[in-house]
Amino acid sequence: MKYALKGALVAAMMAVPGLAFAEAESDDPIIIVQNNWTSQLVLSYVVGKALEAEGYTVEYAPSDSQLQFQAIADGDMHFQVEAWEGSMKSAFEKAVENGMVDAGTHSAATREEWWIPNYVLEKCPGAGSWQGLDRCAEMFATAETKPKGRFVGPPADWGKNYADRIDALEMNFEAINVGQAATLWAELQSAYDRKEPIVLFNWTPNFIESKFEGQFVDFPAPSAACNEVKEWGPNPNATGDCGAPHSGWLKKAAWSGLAEKYPGAWSMMQNIDFSNAQIAAAALMVDVDGMEPEEAAEKWIEDNADVVAGWKG
Amino acid sequence: MTEVMAHRPSEGLSLARLPGWVHFALIMVAGVLLSLVWEGATRWPEAWVIPAEPWLTGYIEWLKNDATIFGVEFKEITRGIGAALKAPVKWAEYLLYRGFKGIGLGPLPWVAVAAGVIIFAHWVGDWKLVALCVFSMIYLAVFNVWKDSMKTMTIVIVAVPMAALLGVVLGIWVTRSRIAERIFTPMFDLMQAIPHMAYLAPVAALFAFGPVTALIATVIFAMPPMARCTILGLQTVSSDVLEAGQMSGCTKRQALWKVALPSSKRTLMLGLNQVVMQTLAMVVIASIAGATGLGHKLLYSLQQLRLGVAIEQGIAITLIAIVLDRLTQAYAYKETDHFAAEKSWVQRHKHMLTFLVILVVSYIAAEFYRWVNIPPSKFTYMVDGEKVTLFDAKQLARTIDAALREFNTWAYPYINPIRDWTTINVLIPTRDFFLWLPWPVFVGVIALAALRLGGLGVMLLCIALAMSFIVTGFWEQAMKTTYVVLIAATISVLIGVPLGVLAANPVLLMPPILMLIGIIEIYQIVAWLLVPLTVPDIVIFSTTIDIAVFATIAVLAVLFLALSPRLREVIFIVFAIKQIVDVIFWILSLLITLISSIGGGDVSGFSAALMSGLPSAAWIVTALLLLRGVGDGLFQGSPLVNLAQFFQSVTRVILSTCDTLQTFPSFIYLIPAIMLFKIGDFANIFAIIPYAMVPAIRYTYLGLKRIPPVTVEAAIANGTTPMQRLWKVELPVALPEIMLGLNQTILFALAMTAITALIGSTDLGQEVVRSISTQNFGRGILAGLFIAALGIIADRLIGSWAAERKRQLGVA
Amino acid sequence: MQAEAQIKCRNLWKVFGANPKQFLKKHHGNPSAEALNEEGYIGAVQDVSFDVNQGEILIIMGLSGSGKSTLIRCITRLNDPTAGEMEYEGRDLLKLSDRELIDIRRHKMGMVFQNFGLLPHRDVLENVAFPLEVQGVPKADRVERAKQMIELVGLGGRESYFPRELSGGQQQRVGIARSLAVEPDIWFLDEPFSALDPLIRAEMQDEFIRLQTMLKKTIVFITHDFEEATKLADRIGIMKDGRMVQMDTPEQIVLNPADDYVAEFAKNAPHERIVSVRAIMGPVAADAVGSVESTAKIGSCAEQVLTGEHPVAVVDPATHEVVGSIDRHRIATSIFGRRAA
Repeated sequence: MKYALKGALVAAMMAVPGLAFAEAESDDPIIIVQNNWTSQLVLSYVVGKALEAEGYTVEYAPSDSQLQFQAIADGDMHFQVEAWEGSMKSAFEKAVENGMVDAGTHSAATREEWWIPNYVLEKCPGAGSWQGLDRCAEMFATAETKPKGRFVGPPADWGKNYADRIDALEMNFEAINVGQAATLWAELQSAYDRKEPIVLFNWTPNFIESKFEGQFVDFPAPSAACNEVKEWGPNPNATGDCGAPHSGWLKKAAWSGLAEKYPGAWSMMQNIDFSNAQIAAAALMVDVDGMEPEEAAEKWIEDNADVVAGWKG
Repeated sequence: MTEVMAHRPSEGLSLARLPGWVHFALIMVAGVLLSLVWEGATRWPEAWVIPAEPWLTGYIEWLKNDATIFGVEFKEITRGIGAALKAPVKWAEYLLYRGFKGIGLGPLPWVAVAAGVIIFAHWVGDWKLVALCVFSMIYLAVFNVWKDSMKTMTIVIVAVPMAALLGVVLGIWVTRSRIAERIFTPMFDLMQAIPHMAYLAPVAALFAFGPVTALIATVIFAMPPMARCTILGLQTVSSDVLEAGQMSGCTKRQALWKVALPSSKRTLMLGLNQVVMQTLAMVVIASIAGATGLGHKLLYSLQQLRLGVAIEQGIAITLIAIVLDRLTQAYAYKETDHFAAEKSWVQRHKHMLTFLVILVVSYIAAEFYRWVNIPPSKFTYMVDGEKVTLFDAKQLARTIDAALREFNTWAYPYINPIRDWTTINVLIPTRDFFLWLPWPVFVGVIALAALRLGGLGVMLLCIALAMSFIVTGFWEQAMKTTYVVLIAATISVLIGVPLGVLAANPVLLMPPILMLIGIIEIYQIVAWLLVPLTVPDIVIFSTTIDIAVFATIAVLAVLFLALSPRLREVIFIVFAIKQIVDVIFWILSLLITLISSIGGGDVSGFSAALMSGLPSAAWIVTALLLLRGVGDGLFQGSPLVNLAQFFQSVTRVILSTCDTLQTFPSFIYLIPAIMLFKIGDFANIFAIIPYAMVPAIRYTYLGLKRIPPVTVEAAIANGTTPMQRLWKVELPVALPEIMLGLNQTILFALAMTAITALIGSTDLGQEVVRSISTQNFGRGILAGLFIAALGIIADRLIGSWAAERKRQLGVA
Repeated sequence: MQAEAQIKCRNLWKVFGANPKQFLKKHHGNPSAEALNEEGYIGAVQDVSFDVNQGEILIIMGLSGSGKSTLIRCITRLNDPTAGEMEYEGRDLLKLSDRELIDIRRHKMGMVFQNFGLLPHRDVLENVAFPLEVQGVPKADRVERAKQMIELVGLGGRESYFPRELSGGQQQRVGIARSLAVEPDIWFLDEPFSALDPLIRAEMQDEFIRLQTMLKKTIVFITHDFEEATKLADRIGIMKDGRMVQMDTPEQIVLNPADDYVAEFAKNAPHERIVSVRAIMGPVAADAVGSVESTAKIGSCAEQVLTGEHPVAVVDPATHEVVGSIDRHRIATSIFGRRAA
């Protein structure tokens, strides 16, 4: 008797989520991917809240910035609002081959390049350009790289080979790859506090520009010829002797089943388009004003009601 | 003696009669000579590389996309399992933070959860447990981590029972079946030796991305200790108990469930403890695979360089681990109430009833007051119509950030030369040596050592493991891993073993403690003289007192052991009073600056006070210890003996919390390591050491504690001094155990290489991490397996040695 | 002994090693000590045959490693013997199915262990009730029965204590109570008092005698303590290196040891408590004063004989005839003489 009662209880308890399932079946949640940097978090909440306002159920799922694309292709997650050319190009393209949908490009342009804090210019006035920087290379040296200067490069898996560019331009630098983006910022923060010379990989838009004063280093402008014609560029004997494009793409990624399952949401997602200024504003509320990402999203929607309304059209 | 003779190789083989070092030397010379005539001995020829990586990647892709079993797609099966596992996770989600929308019921209100935990603690434990729970619940509420904690708990409350149950079942199976033993024992080794990051990507690909992947990865990682403990527990039940069960007429099933399992409860509970710890240790990594909650938030905080927030979140994870562990342990050891029958129903169920009342009331109240449902993000109260913040976690976090940065700026000039010197003179040469090493030398030395220590079987295994990364083209990464791990393990042992010795021999602790106090004093004075901090006057005052006291004490400290007992007591008293004064000043200065900074004042004042107070923080413990020693000592017996006893209980507590502290996410201390040391192997090694040092301390402590008291007493009776006893008796007898500690240290260090890859490295750990993002399943799994291979080689070599040595000492 | 045998053992072997059955077969069931040694086998029990009679206390004695514990584990089938035959009340013990064996253990056998073998997670009551619980006796009945047993061994009032809260002697009382809870016909005790202090041991031995006079079980008792054996036994079997060297009454063992090994044990035995007057009496003496019974132990009449001037007549208690006489000299020689020898 006792066991029967217990059994019934357990069964009843198991049935409760079952009920909830049955209820949710009619409108399955749309799962929006969240990564671990500010602008992405705020914008994903912005999109989520906009969808919720239209009556969709939305869930947020955290994910690694690389694992996510395969998950979107498989339909485990449905929408990613920020896919960066610089760091995610290969994973993105591979997932598109496997069935993920490219949901369009934002008007925001992204840039990735060598970057120096402004105080470096005081010690090495020419550091704003690559030749000037190269002349002060020794200033950036550490025990491992001596006598060469150290360039703190992006995580190795972001598919950027700066060692090749250093060779092509015959610079007196050595590229050290970090393990994750947070490592870059730790290096920067630490050097910044000590006003120690540092040159590192950086991109825009991100929260760095609101916290640290600095600038990108100028390299020879990129062109198709740079990578194909040896004679092109400062080094007549090498290809790749130029900088990165000044405007990389920022895309949206989506699950292929969205169009069929949530046609309304899908058309909204295609319309979503953020500019650099909008993204910066979103990140600023968190990084500088200390808001929580969710609060910031609410504020952003309030401030940009017309933009959000435009997505429905 | 005859036994020793029997182990000698038979005469006639003249080579075999040469001393051991000659063998090693011969192998090395032969290997180096070989590398001179054959390039393939330096680098495994490109053409011979076995393409295991594309095979494995292809295999997993095939499993994922094309494989079928009896006409059912393999992917469908794994996805089906994934979907089935989703049900309990969903249920936990509804309960803890989503709410049952279907029936219009919200999630458990936080008031109810907190009350539930505290009531449960009261039911199963003593007031200390209740206090711990109250503190933890308040912490989770005021540090704004409640909702994320509940999200984390959804995985935890499913993963812990699953891992525990699976572990017990597999453990029982292994003790029952030879075949199961053959299959699972090495699998458990592998499951724990492979860095968890290595199987995240394939698991995610096969079983749907999201919480389920996190759940599976967590269970894989947390289950083996439970299985091991089950096996150990079942195998060590006393034969008398088992036979008594048999003679009572138990069937096989009764013998297992009524006799063997309950009798090994202690060991099983140890297993459960490990499951809880490992599950919480996985929280951050699980978030990479789609688990939401604290882990995800913590990575975000680190990404934003908000170290203070990350530390607060990390502490929340650790607190949850401690609470879960203590609650389960207390529940398991709860005394049955023999007078239950005499009490009324209400009395017997008062805890349950209280909880139900609170539950219902809070559910209703939650409809009207939001703070009943979710703790408010700011605790404010109104004074004269103005909002005053009672406590602001964010402000505290910013203060911590500022303090850390200030410390970094301050310490860097002192630390950087050390870093540079070590990098140039130690790290780089060692690395280059390992990279230069011809592989036949590496394999040969390992093989010879394995042959001598463990025999032919061990040798063949070690050769196979070592060759595995050579023939697949991972030699360079494996050597970089080997070098980092060897150095980190060496340092860990050099620090950990003395600490373990001191923990086990508290009397030996006295001189070093006094020395330490002296050093801290010197440091404090130097800091005060050299570093112009904006320190509140009160701190300067306390430092001035230090200078006065120090001159006397420093001299006395060195002479300490030569002093008369009475004089020692006097010193203790002086110290104790001085400490108390110092600590009171420190707390005062902290309070003043803290209040002013929270009120919107200057943060740097606080962090400066924190800085100058850090040495004093170390003193708090010292002061308490000394006070206790003096207090007892003055009234009864020798203060030294009392102190020794007190230290003993303190070290026991500290060691038992070591486990728990390992749930503090290691990711957090990567960032300060980078800030202080920049990217590089020095930072990697530094980040590995605190983690890898723990087993060295623990095993040394246990090894010394397990020496039969008779042995120690005999040594005392023979007239040894404490130092002689340590060197000539205790350490030799405890050596096998200490070596097992070294073994664990190496395994821990290997596991950490996958984490330090996030600083930036080029070893196997980096391959594992990189494979996650590149979706190169084969490469990640292989790199993980090779890390495990290195670990197993070390384990077999050291394990064989320790087993043989224990046998010789007759303590096996 | 006129009583019939309850347990019969014939040519029992228990050999430990790689392939013991094969090994025994190779040596035609009777390997030599050299063969055992050479091929790395251990003959824990070697060719042992004996009977356990209804209602007797049979004590198996030997030094540690002599095979006595293995022997008792063979009889209870905790270990299966390598070769030989065993019968229990006419049933072949070795041919029992698992089910039948469990049944016999549940109803016929009780066993007490050297280290008590108490279940650490159960209190006294639950430990004692355990054998009843596993055979499915309803709770009220088994609690009732267990309480009786606890009362019997003198632990009344401690039902809710856990083993760790009891002294060694008390723990063994629980072990005894548990083994008796199923009212076994035959009671095995494996060095039950060896782990106890001498004083407690003596107390427990007396307790054991008290219980036996009430219960009259057939008992197989293992000990390495010759004095304990002589105090409690009807018959003693002495084992050495796996073989049963001698099995006889205590008196016979003391008076007629089978070999030097047994004699060594017997030498230090308290003769006055073991040897009866009949065994050392002289011929009928004319000057005898007073009388003692011929079955009396010499210790009980020593004072009477030693303090008198004259020999004392020895009388057969059955026939009341004088069958001999005993004097100071004989007593002194019997008690002290062998020590001088």
